Amino acid sequence: MFKQKTTEQIKAATRKTESGSHAFYNNPKYRAVIYQTLLIAGLAYFFYTIIGNTLGNLEAAGIKSGFGFLGNAAGYDVLMSLIPFESTDSYLRVFIVGFLNTILVSILGIVLATLLGFIFGVMYFSRNWLIKKVSVVYVETFRNIPLLLQILFWYSAVLATLPGVRDSLSLGEAIFLNVRGLFIPKLVGQDGSTLVYVAIAIAIVAIFVMKSWAKKRQDETGQQFPLLYASLGIFFGLPLLATLVAGIPFVVDYPVLQGFGFRGGITVIPELMALTIALSVYTGAFIAEAVRAGIQAVPHGQTEAARSIGLKEGKIMSLIIVPQAMRVIVPLLNSEYQSLVKNSTLAAAIAYPDLFNVFVGTALNQTGQAIETIFMAIIVYFAVNMFISFVMNRFNRNVELVGR
Amino acid sequence: MIKISSLMAGGLAVGLTLGAQAATLDDVKKRGVLSCGVSTGLAGFSQKDEKGNWSGLDVDVCRAVAAAVLGDASKVQYKPLTAKERFTALQSGEIDMLSRNTTWTHTRDTSLGLNFAGTIYYDGTGFMVSKSLGVKSAKELDGANACIQAGTSTELAISDYFRENNIKYKPVTFDTSDQTRSGFESGRCDFLTSDQSQLYALRIGLKNPSGAVVLPEVISKEPLGPVVRQGDDQWFNIVKWSLNAMIEGEEQGVTSANAADKAKNGKPGNKRLLGTEGELGKNLGLNSDWALQVIKQVGNYSESFERNVGSGSQLKISRGLNALWKDGGILYSPAMR
Amino acid sequence: MANTFKSDPIEFKPAVAQPAPDSTVGIVAWMRVNLFSSIPNAMFTIFIMLGLANFIPGIIDWMFISSTWSGVNQDACVGDGACWVFVKAWSQQFFYGSYATDQIWRVNLSLILLFVVIVLSFTLPASYRLKVSVPLFLVLPFVCIAILDGRLLGLEHVNTDFWGGFSLNVLMAAAAIIVAFPFSFLWALGRRSDMPLARSISVVFIEFFRGVPVLALFFMGSVMLPLFFAEGTNVDKLVRVWIVLIFFMSGYMAEVFRGGFQAIPSGQYEAADSIGLGYWQKTLLIILPQVIKVSMPNILATFVMLFKNTVFLLIIGIPEVLQTLLTALSNSNWLGGHAIEGYVFVGVIFWVCCFGMSMLASNIEKKLDTSHRN
Repeated sequence: MFKQKTTEQIKAATRKTESGSHAFYNNPKYRAVIYQTLLIAGLAYFFYTIIGNTLGNLEAAGIKSGFGFLGNAAGYDVLMSLIPFESTDSYLRVFIVGFLNTILVSILGIVLATLLGFIFGVMYFSRNWLIKKVSVVYVETFRNIPLLLQILFWYSAVLATLPGVRDSLSLGEAIFLNVRGLFIPKLVGQDGSTLVYVAIAIAIVAIFVMKSWAKKRQDETGQQFPLLYASLGIFFGLPLLATLVAGIPFVVDYPVLQGFGFRGGITVIPELMALTIALSVYTGAFIAEAVRAGIQAVPHGQTEAARSIGLKEGKIMSLIIVPQAMRVIVPLLNSEYQSLVKNSTLAAAIAYPDLFNVFVGTALNQTGQAIETIFMAIIVYFAVNMFISFVMNRFNRNVELVGR
Repeated sequence: MIKISSLMAGGLAVGLTLGAQAATLDDVKKRGVLSCGVSTGLAGFSQKDEKGNWSGLDVDVCRAVAAAVLGDASKVQYKPLTAKERFTALQSGEIDMLSRNTTWTHTRDTSLGLNFAGTIYYDGTGFMVSKSLGVKSAKELDGANACIQAGTSTELAISDYFRENNIKYKPVTFDTSDQTRSGFESGRCDFLTSDQSQLYALRIGLKNPSGAVVLPEVISKEPLGPVVRQGDDQWFNIVKWSLNAMIEGEEQGVTSANAADKAKNGKPGNKRLLGTEGELGKNLGLNSDWALQVIKQVGNYSESFERNVGSGSQLKISRGLNALWKDGGILYSPAMR
Repeated sequence: MANTFKSDPIEFKPAVAQPAPDSTVGIVAWMRVNLFSSIPNAMFTIFIMLGLANFIPGIIDWMFISSTWSGVNQDACVGDGACWVFVKAWSQQFFYGSYATDQIWRVNLSLILLFVVIVLSFTLPASYRLKVSVPLFLVLPFVCIAILDGRLLGLEHVNTDFWGGFSLNVLMAAAAIIVAFPFSFLWALGRRSDMPLARSISVVFIEFFRGVPVLALFFMGSVMLPLFFAEGTNVDKLVRVWIVLIFFMSGYMAEVFRGGFQAIPSGQYEAADSIGLGYWQKTLLIILPQVIKVSMPNILATFVMLFKNTVFLLIIGIPEVLQTLLTALSNSNWLGGHAIEGYVFVGVIFWVCCFGMSMLASNIEKKLDTSHRN
């Protein structure tokens, strides 16, 4: 039956080309132009109608539009901000505060999710039955429950059960954990601390230089260099030396219980903790799945070959399997990181003041400027995701080259 | 097949698209049902039960308008709205009126293309603290953490108050009022701040309600009332006077039980209100028995208050400011004549 | 005779099989191999066991032993455990929203139709599977809407405000992905097209809907879209959100299809060209069926994502299951703080559905895998 039909179709097709081969609309070049012109015209009409309608509606409803409101005083406070913020500051500053908070939770989430993902992804290949099952249960549980529920769970069922302020769990009277968050001491730089910061910068540059030198040497002579230990030594040694040279230019600001809560030190609010945990556990499950798929995609012959030349199991993983698996993993990581950033908007469900919560949530509500606020937020998330995509594509190119 | 489905899509889209704007009264009458925006769940004001029935003080305003316009208080279609979308829903004509615990402010009244049709409940921002803290006044709360619901006028009021008094606080802003309660209960914050009416609802929800006290300070004015679109004065009047009919009903002692009787045998004032004399209904473009229907089906203000938030409910809120002007409150209906 | 040399025929008698050594069978041996094969392994095992022993009894006690199962209102819950009475009392709301009780069969009918169409698309004979199930799928959302809405079929009209609960999550996700299907296919084709304008428009569209948080899109649907329509028109909120979800999904599905297109060997295109098929014939008859087949696991994964994302609808006040839960929590007769019970309940429902679908996806993946190898 299928065959019959195809012959008919061939006939039809031939007939068509015979009869209309000279008609200009059958010329693929013209056709492409016509299609695209129609497409553009359609889009132009679409946007024209939308914008026209919107302006008409706004005018009819007596709503003021424009970005003028950004200069007005916000009039409300924000729980946590990385830059100084007062309620008399403008909506624009609210926007920046929210943006920085979003970036903070995204970075923390991405780092932790990657860590969790790789640990549980590799655990799947453990010879210990229980460890393997823990990995499976982790992935299947957290992947299949809506993130919103998980955030609420971590926040209201786990972190909310921590002891109150006056019964804080404490570590050496310096670090405190309670329902109000995690309180850790802060190093405050005095005169001369600049030297230490410079030392850190030098250490980072030195590590990169050393890395390329070691690679070059290995390519030429085959000699290996203990890169990890040397890097760690430089990274911690150099700043430590600088600290000693400058005469320890730091004072420690310990959190102290005073009045209603702790003062001083660094406060990690529980909302940030809950959101970070939920985002990284959720995304970690997807990354673990990606890591598992990536490792499984490496042919088993690779492992056998590596064993036959006498590599140890740990070295096989780190030198043979994972680098090849990365070709599969990195593109998946790219989309997981992007969805983590997008999912951070669920901060609105708990009280973490991310961009969405303080700007699209509260600012929209107080000003009624729906189009402007949502537009600004969309642009920001879009830009951040484009940035991630850019970085990961660069990284992907690196991994691909290694494979060839 | 594909053509059929797209045809059906078109048909349905048209079917689900309703004309709006123009004269709201005509629309409502034609549709036979009032579309009223309420909250997604707010104890005592607009709440849904297991059966899906709506009740509450805000809901009663919707019902009163439906009774006045359509003669049947049950002809209401409730649209649960979040705080963020409530004004858009009204502006776009999705709802005929908004009765969603909305504070009457100058900005909202003048810049959003809306009109506030009166006040159903005089509220104010208050504080709830744990008894064990021993705090007697909000001024002692320097450095404390506050649980607040996001996107409310409370957020602005408390910021002003603390700045005026030069004390510091940390706002923990939650999306729902239930979360503010559990935040307060877990000790995340030292005090909870919200409209006073909600403080009582939240206090009942605590595991140990007697362990928390509501401080005497009320730091802002929060008159809550129904809202309509600007530019339809007839509809604005109908909503305004449906509300006033409930208040006037209480003042004249007309209740849902005796309304029919008072319409026939009451004082001249009763008869004017209930439509057996005068032309109050006709001036609004309604039937003459509009107020009779409101009071008969929904009750007067006192009945509605006690049933939803007062002694007849779990909340047990006292009348306070919301008592009639004769009884020391500020509830006052313009003259019904 | 030769027979004299004949001895008794040698009969093969296998020695009686020895039982496997004790050290390789039985539960002890299994444990030794799988749990305690080395000292670090043993330490991990003990650590995990201790962790489980620490948490599980408390959870079981809360969920089952000291929980309350019977009663009609909050007063029944006096124990320390979970108050399942709350979930029981609200279960109809959780599943069907405020849909009138005597009309609930219409919701069930829609769900059954959905289920039947899905099962058909897997079980029909391969020769006409696509020809039947594709049109069925495309018509299904509109049939379901007609059943639920009721006006077209002459049933009692049920306004969309009454639709809700978990059934709304399911139907919303299904309706969005099905309608997004043809669109996403077009976008994927556009992205592979030779026409530069069509390609760039497709890229912008796809990347926009993939790069923007779904929450922002929902906000667009709830507060921005009403302003886009001509003055006086007023499109139902659920329809607006549906439109937004369709756009969102078609962005994601376009990428899934793009992956599918890339997986089709170029020989298929060349073969189609060589028998003289036009562009659309080639695409619809030769390529698309194969694309759908290889993309099936990813389509399911995308659907699971969409399905989980439908709970975000609560942010804009659509009475899906989590919103219904929050509404229930704020009812003045149920102010006892039953949040955890509710979350556990909703979490379990979602887990069962999503886990089932991901199992299905990995099954299909395995099947596809073998068919390619053979």
